[in-house]
Amino acid sequence: MTDKIIALINSPVGPKTCHFWGPVANWGFVLAGILDSNKPPEKISGRMTTVLMFYSCLFMRFALRVQPKNYLLFSCHLCNASCQAYLLTRVFRAEQERKAKAAAAGNQ
Amino acid sequence: MSLGIVQAIQNVVLTLPWPSGVRSLLVHPAGPFTIFFWAPTFKWMITIANIGDFSKPAENISANQQIAISATGIIWARYATQINPVNYNLMIVNMFMGLSGLYQLYRKSQVPKEKGGFWGK
Repeated sequence: MTDKIIALINSPVGPKTCHFWGPVANWGFVLAGILDSNKPPEKISGRMTTVLMFYSCLFMRFALRVQPKNYLLFSCHLCNASCQAYLLTRVFRAEQERKAKAAAAGNQ
Repeated sequence: MSLGIVQAIQNVVLTLPWPSGVRSLLVHPAGPFTIFFWAPTFKWMITIANIGDFSKPAENISANQQIAISATGIIWARYATQINPVNYNLMIVNMFMGLSGLYQLYRKSQVPKEKGGFWGK
């Protein structure tokens, strides 16, 4: 059992190489997005969130067209695109509320 | 699911009389009609968006997101030198992405405690 673990650790695409940590780093975007979903929407950068969403959409296609197909990369970017889209809805909703409040305050 | 739209556009574009150097670029397997060109090229937008966010007050920037951006940039810049063939385009875009993220993290570190400090409120 420990032999297998040691073999995995020393593998040429294992955790001692950047071939492993590259895709892991991409999951960092998903993690950051999930952690940020509880923060107030004013702290979300609409610009960056939009860019990250389109970036992940493009790489979803990339992961399926590259040889060999990389389903791990695909799933990572699928999660990230969804996550960033959700953050964008929060930004839009907060913007609508802010405009409604400003209009209501202006009418008084 | 292959609608063939991009293929159709490429066929139309290739009917024009391009010089041979340009033509070989247009039909390249990682050329402008493939995802292999546009996906990495679009990654520059992350750096550009981050530079645009330099003018935002540091309290409104997400430390989590900038950590993810910096880590991704640095790791993938190294990755690009370790694959075969070496991909300098990938290396450069990730280098700049990592640097922009690191600068944002520096800005976050300068946020005083009353405004939330590094991690924000």
